[in-house]
Amino acid sequence: MPIKAMTQEWMDAYKAAIQADPDYRNIAKDWEGSVALVVNPDPSKNVPEPIYLFMDYWHGDVGEFVVCDKAKAESARFVMTGDYARWKQVAFKELDATKALLQGKLKMKGDLPYVVRNIKTVNKVIDILGKVDTLWPDDHK
Amino acid sequence: MAGGYAGKFLRVDLSKGSWDDFTIADDVLRQYIGGSCLAAKLFLERYPIEADPLSPENPLMIMTGPMVGSGFPGTSRFSVCAKSPQTGIWAESACGGTFGPELKRAGYDGIVIEGRSEKPVVLSIIDSKIALSDASSLWGKDIYEATDELKAADRSIKALVIGPAGENLARIAAIGNDKGHFSGRAGLGAVMGSKNLKAVLVKGNAGKAPKADDDAFKTAMKAAMQEIKESALAEGLHMMGSDANMDLGMVTGDVPVKNWTSGGEFDLANSLSGPTMREKYLTKAHACTNCPIACKRVVKVEDGPYTAEEGPGPEYETCAVFGTMLMNPDLTAVIKANELCNRYGMDTISCGSAVALAMELFEKGTVTKEQLDGLDLSWGRMDSVLELVKKMAYRQGFGDILADGAVHAARRIGGDAIDAVVHVKGLEAPMHDPRGFHGMGLAYMMSNRGACHLQHFVLATEQGMASWPQLFDMKDDYQGTTSEGKAALVYNSENYGILANSLAICHYVAYSIKPETLRDAFNAVTGFGFTFTDLLSTGMRDWTLKRGFNNLLGISKKDDILPKRIMTALDTGGAAGSVPDVDLLLKEYYELRGLDERGFPKAEILAVLGLDDLKARLYQ
Ligand code: SF4
Repeated sequence: MPIKAMTQEWMDAYKAAIQADPDYRNIAKDWEGSVALVVNPDPSKNVPEPIYLFMDYWHGDVGEFVVCDKAKAESARFVMTGDYARWKQVAFKELDATKALLQGKLKMKGDLPYVVRNIKTVNKVIDILGKVDTLWPDDHK
Repeated sequence: MAGGYAGKFLRVDLSKGSWDDFTIADDVLRQYIGGSCLAAKLFLERYPIEADPLSPENPLMIMTGPMVGSGFPGTSRFSVCAKSPQTGIWAESACGGTFGPELKRAGYDGIVIEGRSEKPVVLSIIDSKIALSDASSLWGKDIYEATDELKAADRSIKALVIGPAGENLARIAAIGNDKGHFSGRAGLGAVMGSKNLKAVLVKGNAGKAPKADDDAFKTAMKAAMQEIKESALAEGLHMMGSDANMDLGMVTGDVPVKNWTSGGEFDLANSLSGPTMREKYLTKAHACTNCPIACKRVVKVEDGPYTAEEGPGPEYETCAVFGTMLMNPDLTAVIKANELCNRYGMDTISCGSAVALAMELFEKGTVTKEQLDGLDLSWGRMDSVLELVKKMAYRQGFGDILADGAVHAARRIGGDAIDAVVHVKGLEAPMHDPRGFHGMGLAYMMSNRGACHLQHFVLATEQGMASWPQLFDMKDDYQGTTSEGKAALVYNSENYGILANSLAICHYVAYSIKPETLRDAFNAVTGFGFTFTDLLSTGMRDWTLKRGFNNLLGISKKDDILPKRIMTALDTGGAAGSVPDVDLLLKEYYELRGLDERGFPKAEILAVLGLDDLKARLYQ
């Protein structure tokens, strides 16, 4: 049963998927720090307001995974912002997140060299994101 | 006169010790712009292309473009062009730094150097005074020493200098600009050495070339600065230099490992990467004239066996060729190898590739310790590598065999040594594996100076650093390990990217700004009023002209190939199991480019591009 994207239930499912992944712990063993995703609103795609998602990653473990407010999102070590359609492309692997960043389709605030050094971790969490059975806002009947 | 140009070129005849100025008509500049494109046009018109590259008949051209000296970001560049002593075909090697804008300030768009001096000389263009002076006391000095000496009396002089490798006619010799910037590829330092020309010095007093539209230029300039400020690519380059690619490229299968035989060495990449350099050895970021990105590294190594004084640090290509290619995890050894290549004046890609070949042959027993004067050339033995680099520059022992690059070395060694060399048309490939990015494989096959990542923007478009759907049809994201759709991507990325070397603008800046901004700045400077279509047509003319140059030298379809090693899939890494579909790529590309079954531009294409002289020579 698909879960509505970017809801707390979806965040819980995403966290569980990461925890269940056999390779994640090893790949992410060096990663320290929280990541916030900011989804810009797009009323034409049933995203009327911005959405803020906060995820805490720590040396292969995962902590708090919540839908949050702007202030909490901005407190994350890394904040990535983009239009809803771009995030969906990333989840569907139609657009690589690093390429999206370089092309300005996503923006990032945070320590870029750290992200580059840990690119395998970034790729892994995106890979897992694509595996969560998701109902996207613009797919709602 | 068209805006942006100084309005004259300097011709120097070293055999006669004389010089004069010449001009080029505006309509020719409009068609060929400047840089390497104009150089190819001049070469074909005025010089014998069949000449031995190390003979006095091979001209050495140092060319800028109309935007150089304008103050627009990334327009500090110049192209050095000649027939290559390494490959025997067209050679161009673009360089950033300081020399290009200063040459414009001296009132010249370019210099064409003919003949050969009897004795070592320095050519100087200082405050409108041109002179050839004796350089006997400088001959034998390395690039750092000679540059310091030449600039001792006046630090504002900009210098182009060769080192011992160029003097010893190593066919992989480079030319250094102010110690931190190099025209590295295709052996142009040897052409300079063959002319007994140790250095070219320039200091200008002619002011800036007038622009066609100052207000439009200011607007384009403002847009460019804002786009660079907002660009994650520019930010990454500033923070990590070009070596930001190391970690990313190891994941995607871009980075060659162990002389192109392995992949997926993530710890090795981490130890050699831009973030590591930044954390441990970077003292500051440095920029070419008028560049807000400042991707150049200045590094210092204080401890360990490979200490290095503060100086120019290695780029990604150097970190790969002296790092992953040699199974060397020690970044300090790479920094040292870079310093030696800079001092001796050798292209790091060709030098490291020749060393990688020797290491592989040493492992196989084809090359022995005795041949290497006792050096143990096992993988990762950087103490031996640094010794060998010196031997190459001075053509000592086995270094003499490697001094002309991996292809010449493999041919001298014989047997199947050539199978261990990754090259196209005699030029060793840069550090981007076509098995991870098939478009790059096609770009290597079709680049006019041999395997090259700088005659086009394929690196940016295929790897997703830039997306320009407004310029030509392209997708948001290309999978590296597929050949479908790549011919069109390469064709378009060539037509746009090749302009970088005629406009003389840095690739990184061009990747970071919108094509509209570059077009508007170009038009504001020149007054040419080009559309995107005009720009891409100029790129087509540029590519076709150089292809024709090479066709006249015997290049044909048989040479548009990838080497055996690249056509063998890897077992590990991001490119595992993948090889480019060469037949598909070439078939589609030949059609787009209008090449006939021999690999010659069709007569009608030459006519459309206004290359009638070339048409007459190819179809006589
Ligand atoms: S990006 Fe780097 S290479 Fe290009 S002009 Fe700027 S400093 Fe020079």
